[in-house]
Parts: sequence; structure tokens; C-alpha cells
Amino acid sequence: MKFPWRRAESELEREIAHHLYQLTAEYQRQGYSRTEAQRLAKREFGGPEQTKEQCRDERRWAWLNGLRQDIVFGWRMMRRTPVVTAAAILSLALAIGANTAIVSLMDVVLWRDLPVPNPRQLVNVNWQGHGFPSEMADSASGTMYPSDDGWDVADFFSYPGFETMRGRLAGRASLAAYSFPDTVSVSFAGQASVAKQRAVSGNFLSTLQVQPELGRLLFESDDDKAAPATVVVSHRFWVNTLGAAPDVIGRTIAINNEQRIIAGVLASSFYGLMPGDATDLYAPLHHGYRRMPDGTSRLDVNRSWGISLIARRTAGYTESQMRPEIDAAFVSSWAAQPKNLQKAPHIRLEDGSHGLGFLRKDFRDPLLVLGGLVGLLLMIACSNIANLLLSRAAAREKEVATRVALGCSRLRLARQFLTESALLAVAGGVASIFVAYLTETLLSQFVLLRHGDSVPIPMSFNLRVLAFIAVTSLLALLLFGVFPAWRASQLATVEQLKKDSGRHKWNAGRILTLGQMAMSVVLVMSAVLFTRNLLAIQSADPGFDRRNMILFNLRPGTSGYDRSRLENFYFNLERRLSETQGVTDVGLSSIRPMNVGGRWDDLRMAGEPDINNVSVNGVTPNYLPLYSPRLVAGRNIEWIDIASSAKVAVISEDLARKLGGLSVLGKRFTFSEGPGRTGPEYEIVGIAPAMAATSMKDRPVVTWLPLDKESREVTVVLRTSQPPSMVLPAVRRTIAEIDRNLPLVDVITMEEQISKTLQRERMFATICSCFGVLALVLSIVGLYGVVAYNTARRSGEIGIRLALGAIPRNVIAMIIREGMTVAVLGLLLGLPVIWLGAKYVEKELFKMKPLDPATIVVSVGTLLAAALLAVVIPALRASSIQPAQTLRQD
Amino acid sequence: MADKKRDLIQGTLDLLILKTVAQAPIHGYGIAQRILITSKEILQVQQGSLYPALHRLQRKGLLKAEWRESGSGPMAKFYSLTTAGKKYFQEEMTEWQRYADAVALVLES
Repeated sequence: MKFPWRRAESELEREIAHHLYQLTAEYQRQGYSRTEAQRLAKREFGGPEQTKEQCRDERRWAWLNGLRQDIVFGWRMMRRTPVVTAAAILSLALAIGANTAIVSLMDVVLWRDLPVPNPRQLVNVNWQGHGFPSEMADSASGTMYPSDDGWDVADFFSYPGFETMRGRLAGRASLAAYSFPDTVSVSFAGQASVAKQRAVSGNFLSTLQVQPELGRLLFESDDDKAAPATVVVSHRFWVNTLGAAPDVIGRTIAINNEQRIIAGVLASSFYGLMPGDATDLYAPLHHGYRRMPDGTSRLDVNRSWGISLIARRTAGYTESQMRPEIDAAFVSSWAAQPKNLQKAPHIRLEDGSHGLGFLRKDFRDPLLVLGGLVGLLLMIACSNIANLLLSRAAAREKEVATRVALGCSRLRLARQFLTESALLAVAGGVASIFVAYLTETLLSQFVLLRHGDSVPIPMSFNLRVLAFIAVTSLLALLLFGVFPAWRASQLATVEQLKKDSGRHKWNAGRILTLGQMAMSVVLVMSAVLFTRNLLAIQSADPGFDRRNMILFNLRPGTSGYDRSRLENFYFNLERRLSETQGVTDVGLSSIRPMNVGGRWDDLRMAGEPDINNVSVNGVTPNYLPLYSPRLVAGRNIEWIDIASSAKVAVISEDLARKLGGLSVLGKRFTFSEGPGRTGPEYEIVGIAPAMAATSMKDRPVVTWLPLDKESREVTVVLRTSQPPSMVLPAVRRTIAEIDRNLPLVDVITMEEQISKTLQRERMFATICSCFGVLALVLSIVGLYGVVAYNTARRSGEIGIRLALGAIPRNVIAMIIREGMTVAVLGLLLGLPVIWLGAKYVEKELFKMKPLDPATIVVSVGTLLAAALLAVVIPALRASSIQPAQTLRQD
Repeated sequence: MADKKRDLIQGTLDLLILKTVAQAPIHGYGIAQRILITSKEILQVQQGSLYPALHRLQRKGLLKAEWRESGSGPMAKFYSLTTAGKKYFQEEMTEWQRYADAVALVLES
């Protein structure tokens, strides 16, 4: 079978042959000999190849045939320089892959809708005000953050308030409540573990319109004290903890030592209220809402604000219609009306289609910064390839000239070069899928909630991501392919060929390299900056020796110990652990150290107006000596203080300094509990050295109180004489000896605990370092390429110079000078970009300025050193040019 | 004689080809020859323009071609007008006539 173009080709051959035959015959008729006639005929016909080429351009299948030829030829050209081609594809794949990963992370964190039907109908219900609404609330649990428009925005409401608002909206919007996830102890089929539980209103899951995978959702009737206690579990929990057993529905599971009936398993697509949400269990508010230490729930107390709200509007009921209605109900539900109505809180509605906004708030700016940097990386990669293609096009001048002589049209020539670029783009795009997949897996580990626990973000490699790769590859192709193609077609005229022989000092290649250097300096500097930032935080002195320390939590209070037994348990626990082989010190605390957040209170010295916000922790006598053996002044907390619930406190030295020095010892303070109310007075009995208690980044002033002897959960902190991994088995044995059914939760070394709080910093440092190294390599390769290429083109000139007596050293100096001019100008060009970008990265930095001099020196130094390396090699090669040889070449 | 041969004015080649083909099916060489003879050896069609033009007209659907014996020689590709080609030729002829008349009017005034 013949392809259309094949047939046309042979017909053309025959047609031309026929023409020549007739011409020859004509000449023979005129009396010429056969050979003479043939010669004359050929001369008269002119170049048959030109005619053929022009005819091909006129043909119906011309474009398809041309494309096929272009691809075959392009592939052949690429294969001729496999290393260069592979490097080009690899750099493109890395750049596109990195872009894709960042963009798909942005997609998940910033743009993706909750996986429920009609997410646009969802509304996050918050309130905005100024400070804590102490006139209508005594206690609260939730988050409050300052908004861009100057409000304090909070997400906590009272349950009675929720019921009022829900009643008011009935028929127009469905309002549902949920709590912050609590950690609960779970026992199922004899296996003990821990899980995250959200207490939710009975209509929560049906409001979201989540589908059950097995069983059913929660109903209104479940959310009743009298109803049998039920729980709905997440798909992940069902798979990981319940072993994906199909018969779990109706079976019981012990949650915090209370029996619950498993009512349903949620669909696997539902990851929770936001990406990374670690919630395993959804329990009705009336059964699952957190209890006070005495076992009571404060759900029905109007002055206790601790649940958050989400609503689904019916079609046609807008947010602006909803806001005044729900706000009126909110105001009417308060236990007391505020004196100053101006400062009273009011409802603030926010789009709920993406779920909760914590991740977005935490990661929006960092992701935008990374997005900008990764875009630069792509541009560097593209200009590198453009450079490569430019020099390749120039190196193919002879080929191009031959093709033009054979009748190749200029358009066709440009298309040929563009096809070669397209091949690179397609190959790079395909390879980038793998890069993107790997990078995303890595990245998702970094994006975790700063507050509370979360699971790695679910990254699904979807069509949108693939479409992004396709579009980016296309853009890259335009970026790096069009200019060289245009240039190549311009080369076609002989005049151009003669003119353009490397005499322009600022040819396109150099300008591209200049731009590359400018972009690399930004990336390299970001890499150095964020790495130094991470190192600065990590190497900061926390005020104690972080080596050989182990942390874990125990939850006796939710594993069957009643309040009266807890004190004894803790006393015994500390003693038994301290006798364990390898353990030198044991302390217990109510709040896990170095875990960001924790308990914060306003401390006010008796008789003074000033308030100090302090981090508070309840500890045992051996807790503080774990960190530093000596107090600054006074005494430590003692078991007798714990046993008698004494109102005594040890404060940190920096707090003492704020309060007036060592003389505060023996003075009394209270924790502010809102206007007109005072809590118990505490006596300051000791002052401990200042230390980082909650994170390496901020060092709050700290107050240590005696551990509440009825704490349901404690963090055990151990100091060991050997590496923690060697001591841990013995520790586990000791705990098992005390109680076999008590799981050790979140076992981790202090060093790991510290690095856990530095996720964001590590993310920046790691990603930017990768970008920086890539940018450095790419731009140095680019610089090398341009200098080597220009030097090669000028080998004739250099040969003449050497022949005329130029000293090789001067030739080297000349080439180095020219190369370094490009590098230095590029660096200078990049500095304004850095200066402009500085303010965007400022808030990601700890104790460092974005325009840190050492960083600038290190990055610029690195780039210059690398640039020098790239320039010296071609310079040395040029100096060894043999004049006679190069002169013969041309 | 060689001096008198003229290159064609841009755009007239198509018309000459159509006219030549309209008389009887004819191969490429024949077209060039006939134009040369009919124009009293003034209009010489370059092979380099003839064949691309033939292929272009064929692609536009104005010409059709078939392979036939050509007298004593080998098989040759004979071109003839399609229906669309005939119509197009008529229109172009009228157009050319108007143009030539107009030019003549100006030159002879």
C-alpha cells in the first residue's frame, strides 16, 4: 500500500522525467547528439529538486507529509547529540514537574472544593468582634485570629446559641455544629489505640451531604442524651484501625472507655472538613462533646462557647439575606447583653466551599512565594533550551543554506525548528509527570497544620494536573522555541549568513544568559536564606540540652482510671520510670512541651493593673530539673503541692524580670478571668531559668503550676543516659508492667518534637535548596554553553590573534572578561528583584532579615565562583587553539 | 530570440495554463511548448513555476490529471479542466479582458 504522499512523490518523479524526456527529444530533433541533448535539457529544466520541493509545498497532503518529515528529521538531530538532548529534556522535566507539584499543592490547599455535592452552598459561620466576649462567655474553645480588615474573627459559639440560630434559619438554611477534634482512646476487638474525634450535631453529616460507604450517617435522633450512643467512622479509620471489616456496622467500640455503636463508615472521598483533617470519628454532640474533669459536659451552658458552625443555604437564599437573620438570632441568644454595643460581636459569613480555612491561612503566602520561585526556575530552564537551540541553529548554518538552495521555503524552515522544539517540549512534559508525582509525594509531607494534628494532604494526580503539564509544556515551547525558529529562518539568506558571524557582542544567547543569571541569583539567594533561617532556628539555644530526651503521652483518665486513683498512678509512674535502666530523670506535665500552642493565660500581679500573657503548664517536681538542674531562686514544685492542690507557682526568669526582678518571689498573682471576676491567687515560690517551652521560634514567658492530680492525660518527659532508642524498650516494659492496656501515645524524642514544629521552615529550606541548586546548575550550563559557543565561532579570529603574536594568557583573560561581564551584569540585574521580593518573604523568616548581608555574600560568591568555572574551561580551550589549523578550516 | 522571451506577469500564469488545458488534455511539457509557440516564442514558462502552478491548480480542484500514453514517449500526466475549473476559467477570462481593456484605454489615451 502506498501512502498518499508516497504516490504523489513517485508521480512527481515521473512527471519531471517525462518533461526531461520530451526536452531531450526536442534537442535531438534539432540535431544534437543524445548525450548533448540530455545535457541541454537538464540545463534548461534547471534544478529538478527545487521544482520538486515547490510542488510538494502545493500538495494536499503537504502539511502531514511535512510534519512527518520534520519529526523524523528532528528526532535524528536530537539523537545526534544524545547528552545535550537528555540534559535539555531532564531540565525541562524537572522545571515543569516542580511547577506542577507546587500548582497542584496550591490546588488542594487553596482552590479545591470539599468533596460533597454543591459545595458552593456551604457557609462557614464565624463571628467578628474585638477581643474575647467576656460579658457573655466565661470559657471558650476554638480559634480566634486577627483578620485583614481589623477584626478579631472567631469560630466558637455556645450550644444554646447554635440552637437559637438554627431555629431561626430553618427552611432556608441548614445549620450544623462541630467541635475541634479531641484525641480519644479507642479499643476495638481487644486492640487499644488513639483516634481523633469530632463531636458533631446530629444534622452535621446530612448537612454536608456526605455519603456513607457502609451503614448510615448520624441522624438527629442520635444526638440525644437518651439515645443509644453511636459513632460514624471515617473511611481511613475503618481501613487502618478496623481492618476494613465489612461487618463493623452495629458492633461496639470503646471510646474513652465508653461503649459506642458503629452506625456507619463514610465514603472514602470525604477527607474531613479540610484537606489534612485527621478526624477519625464523628460522634453526636450529646455523647462525644468533651467532658470536664468531673465527667460533666458543659454543652448546655450558654456561657461556655466551644462549638463551631457550618451552614448549607438552600438554592436562592443568599449570604446577604442570611447574615442579618442569623446575626439577630446570635445577638438574642447571649446570656447577657454587652454594655458597649459598638464592640459587640457580630456574625461573619465566609465561603465554605473549600471547607475550613486554617490551611489556606497558614500556607497561602508560602505557596505563593514558592509558586513565584518555581516559575523563575521554569524560565531559567526554558532560556537554557532556547540558548541550546539558538546555537544549534547557528551550527547548522551550512545545512540551512543547503536546504534553502534546494528550494526549502522559509516558513518550512521555521516549522522544522519549531518541530524540534516541540519534540523537546513533549518529551519534557511526559518526563515531568514522574517528577511531579515524586515531588508531590514529598511536598504533601510538609504541608501539615500548625495547630493540632493532621494527616498528610491527599494529593490526587488528576486530569487537571495533567492539563496543567500540557499547557505548561506548550508555554515552555513558545518561550524557548519560537525565537530560535524565527532566528533560524532569518539565517536562511546568504547576506545574513555573512553578516552574522559572531561580531555582535550582545547576541541573543548572551542576553538570555544574562536573564538566567538574574533569575538564578534570586533562587540561589532564597535557598541560602531559607536554609540559614532553618539552621538559625535549629541551632538556637532552647535553654536546655535537647539530646537524650523522650516524650510520650499517657491517657489513664480515658482508660478506666477514676479520679481518685490518678494521683497515685502518677506518683507511682514517675517513681517506676525513674528506676528504669537508662533513665536518669522523669517529669510529667499536663501540656506537651515544644508543641506550639498549649495553655495561655493573662497573669496579673495582685494589686497591679498590668497583664502579662503567659504560657502555663502543670508539672511534677522532677519536671523542671530535667531541663536545668538549678532554679534561679526559691524552691521547686513538690509532691505535697500536687497532693494538696496548692496555689503555688514557679515562673521563668524572663517573666520575673518583667515583673520586677527577684523581689517577686513570695508575691501573689491571679489569672484574669474577665472583668469583675477573679480566680484563685497563686504564690510565686520559685524562679526557673528562661527556656523555650513551646517552640524554638517564640519564647513566651512561662508559669509552672503543680500538676493537676486529676489530669486525664499527661506528657511523660524522660532524660536518658543512653540514646533514646536504646532505652525505649525498657520504658515500654515498665509501662506494660504498670498497666498492660495503657498505650504510649506519640512517642518521640525531644529533637524530633522540635523538628516537628519546624515543618514550614523545613519545607521552605528544602524546596528552595532544590530550586537553588537546579537554577545554579542550569544557568552555569547556560553560561558555559554561550561562552564555549561564542569562543568556537571566534576560533578563526583567535587563531589570527595568536598567529600575530598574542600571548595565550591575554586571550584567556579576554574570554574570561567577556564571560564574567555577562555573569556580573546578570547578578546586578537580579538584585532589584530580590529587593522587591524581600517584603514577601520577611514574615517567613525568624530572627533574620531578607536582605541579610551574609546571605547576599554567600549567594553572590557561589554564583560568581560557579560562573568563573564555566568561563575558564572554554577560555583555556581557546588559548590552545593552533593558528594554522583554524585558519585552514575557513 | 532569447532577449525577446519574457517572464510572465505575476498571476497570469494560471490563466495561460487554464486556457491551454481548456483546449484538450495536455501534459506539462506540452503546456510549456504550446504557450511558447502560441505567443510566438515571447512567453517562456519556467519549469520551476509551471509544475508548482499545476499542482496548486490541481489541489484547488480546477484541474484533474490522468496518466496516459503520449505518442511515442513514456507515460505522461495529462491535465484537463474540471467543471469548477471551466467555470473559474470563464470568470478569470472576463476579468482579464476587463483589465486588459482598461490598461489599453489608459496607454492609448
